[in-house]
Amino acid sequence: MVSESPVHDLKLSSVVPARTTGDDKIHELTNTDLAMKLHYIKALYFFNSDAARGIDIFTLKKPMFYLLDRHVAVSGRIRRRPDDGRPLIKCNDGGVRTVEARCGRTVDEWLATDDRTVDDRLVYSEPLGPDLGFSPLVYVQFTWFKCGGLSVGLSWAHILGDAFSASAIINMWGQIMAGHVPPQPLKVPNTTNNCQFPHSSISQKPFSLKMVDPVGDCWKIANSCEMKSHSFHVTTRTLDRIVSSTSGLNLAAKHQYFRVIMALMWKSLAKIRGESDSKVVTICANNSREGNEIASNTQVIGSVEASFNVGKADISELAKLIDEKAMDETSVIEKFVERESGQSDFVMYGANLTFVNLEEEEIYGLQIQGKRPIFANYTVGGIDEKGVVLVLPGPENGKRGNSGRTVTVIVPKNQIIELKNELKKEWGIF
Amino acid sequence: MPTPTVPEFSKSVKLKYVKLGYQYLVNHILTFLLIPVMLSVALQLVHTSPDDLLALWNSLHFNLVHVACSLFLIVYIATFYFLSRPRTIYLVDYACFKPPCSLRVPFAMCLEHARIILSSQPKSVQFQLRILERSGLGEETALPPAIHYLPPEPNMAAAREEAEMVIFSAMDSLLKKTGLKPKDIDILIVNCSLFSPTPSLSAMVVNKYKLRSNIKSFNLAGMGCSAGLISIDLARDLLQVHPNSNAVIVSTEIITPNCYMGNQRSMLLPNCLFRMGGAAILLSNRWSDKRRAKFRLVHVVRTHKGAEDKAYKCVQQEEDPEGHVGISLSINLMAIAAEALKSNITTIGPLVLPASEQLLFLFALLRRKIFKKKTKAYVPDFKQAFEHFCIHAGGRAVIDELQKNLQLSAEHVEASRMTLHRFGNTSSSSLWYEMSYIEAKGRMKRGDRIWQIAFGSGFKCNSAVWKCNRTIKAPIDDGPWVDCIDRYPVYIPDVVKL
Repeated sequence: MVSESPVHDLKLSSVVPARTTGDDKIHELTNTDLAMKLHYIKALYFFNSDAARGIDIFTLKKPMFYLLDRHVAVSGRIRRRPDDGRPLIKCNDGGVRTVEARCGRTVDEWLATDDRTVDDRLVYSEPLGPDLGFSPLVYVQFTWFKCGGLSVGLSWAHILGDAFSASAIINMWGQIMAGHVPPQPLKVPNTTNNCQFPHSSISQKPFSLKMVDPVGDCWKIANSCEMKSHSFHVTTRTLDRIVSSTSGLNLAAKHQYFRVIMALMWKSLAKIRGESDSKVVTICANNSREGNEIASNTQVIGSVEASFNVGKADISELAKLIDEKAMDETSVIEKFVERESGQSDFVMYGANLTFVNLEEEEIYGLQIQGKRPIFANYTVGGIDEKGVVLVLPGPENGKRGNSGRTVTVIVPKNQIIELKNELKKEWGIF
Repeated sequence: MPTPTVPEFSKSVKLKYVKLGYQYLVNHILTFLLIPVMLSVALQLVHTSPDDLLALWNSLHFNLVHVACSLFLIVYIATFYFLSRPRTIYLVDYACFKPPCSLRVPFAMCLEHARIILSSQPKSVQFQLRILERSGLGEETALPPAIHYLPPEPNMAAAREEAEMVIFSAMDSLLKKTGLKPKDIDILIVNCSLFSPTPSLSAMVVNKYKLRSNIKSFNLAGMGCSAGLISIDLARDLLQVHPNSNAVIVSTEIITPNCYMGNQRSMLLPNCLFRMGGAAILLSNRWSDKRRAKFRLVHVVRTHKGAEDKAYKCVQQEEDPEGHVGISLSINLMAIAAEALKSNITTIGPLVLPASEQLLFLFALLRRKIFKKKTKAYVPDFKQAFEHFCIHAGGRAVIDELQKNLQLSAEHVEASRMTLHRFGNTSSSSLWYEMSYIEAKGRMKRGDRIWQIAFGSGFKCNSAVWKCNRTIKAPIDDGPWVDCIDRYPVYIPDVVKL
């Protein structure tokens, strides 16, 4: 046990857009944005000493100035409309908070444990408020390790955009650092809904959203229990074995393991928690086919309800259920929030067990000096008790198709041990 | 604005022509006196016949000795005259430091950092906010990297890094623009008021550029925002003594060590106004530089009011009751500045004003003294003496005060206001950013006269008068304004709402 924190020497500063944004730029927030206001995306990328050799803080910060030029809302601050108090983002060049830190361990030592709760030390994060007008929406932490490796931690307020756009924007930072200037993003975010699931009826209350008491100016969830985060590395071989040994399970496309993983995690957690808590789950998937160059909440939020006993069902039944019965609630959420946002605030992640499908994203596309990360992970901060499961592409040189999957689970502390045992016993997942 | 009625208008037009006529008459009085003399000589010549002229010529009894002596006398007098004239000092070119966009400090960031650093002193934060709103600064001014941290890290290493960044960048730019080789530099003067390490900043420049071992280097510290013109004055005096030489002057102010961390109001003002900046200037007395030089130095007038205690103490670097070091500005700073300016004008007026203005000033003075009339002191119209004014961008109040006192139009003070907006108060180098602005706007024509005025602790008021040697065509392809000159002039509101 270390008596002092392994991460030390924190130095805070700010990065602003390279050019003046001007006085009057406002970024209006949609109802879906407001539904996400209590959640925070956290991304963490680990680079080994090869990638980080000779890099100093200015090399890392400078491209960020040009990046923020293209996404002025990221540097903005929350303000409220004077007439109805509805939040909006004033693009006032307040900037992104950057943190520089040092760690007394090597990258390999840090990654040796699968308990990813320690990663909180590498991703500096503060919830928005109580001074909303002076709270940064995004924090970036650069941590230098004893071995010369580097970690890049991003804390991103979900009100600004979803995990898909966060990932695209951080990749753009890497491109600017390498000297490739990406083309200017489209001014209008892609609003056409790429229908993955059928729509549910607009007048209903969405399953995936829970109402909570208004939080005022302090945008964080009051958790009654401590949540822990754990990452499972699932190799392609294990997944193929599971697929082939389960009858009736066929992959929608080659290497799309999300449904399989979702089914087995749902089943495992239902066994641990009991049936009553596990009937409904939420799915978050990427909507935009063209890329997410603009910070926006355009993800598809769907909901699945099981009418049978999940814990005892076969995963092929669950997979079939996900395929056939998932309902797209994105527009329902939009309308619901519009109706209720004056009186109430909302929680989506963890209201039900939530699954986030990041497996198709270019998570390992962030490069420093031409090298990809040796490990990358995404979690969500500010979630409710039912927990979140994120499915990301795995490391192993980041080669698509061979990399397996990283499955990051955030559940209450008392469920982690049972879950680990269950996955190991039933599925051979460590 | 109400249009003037016809009689008023015609009266003002008549007055204008009367004034113009008077000025033309007095300023060219010698020409006017010469005309009747020439006319009478011409008349005489017309009346005399060629024979008479020949007789006149023969009677002069020229012989060789006379001719030789006269010629010798003429040559001797001419040589004596030319040698005893002061050498002409040319400003070959100058370069200003352009801060990178990564050091920019928008208002929102300034305010947010202030709230975090001074979280225990909300009144100080409010005060600084009010100053910033009324300061006339824009959103592109720059602070050094050490001050961007929360809390700021103003250590000596960071100060040296800032000095290297600013000075070397300006020097590199100057060497490139002028084609000057470092080994050719004869005199080096560096002025930086608040950061004076050992070895000095001038030694730092000598080391970096491998200057000659017999270079005459000087480092002026502690002399305030007017030190730039003091350096020019020193260079001019040295160039009188050393023939065929050049001098490089580096004017800058290093912000890193001077971040005030306390809460005394009189010391918070510099935090809000001082920003990164620096300039490098090449002066020469070489004949070969005459053609390519941009300006010629005409006068430097220095006024020091330090003999008066009030003036001496009005800008004071000291420790506050809690031990934080800062620069305290006294409440009567503007009054002292106005006094110092008056002193300076009294000296520079006779050197630059045309005869018409000097005569008017004399009449007004006589009227006040002899007839004891309580009329306002006549402020000479300096717009007749100068085409361009570079007022040190010390703050909005300074520029407003000078505009009022010297009765300058908005266009005359535009360079100063826009420099304050784009770069903030860069101390001794602000005059060079202003010159650069005028050039970038294409307003600098051959023969234009420029007046640079700077104020500084002490209390000093220094002036320099330059004459433009060659027209400088816009658009210029380098310089600190090159990517933003098209946006200027901007309207700067009295109070910016943050």
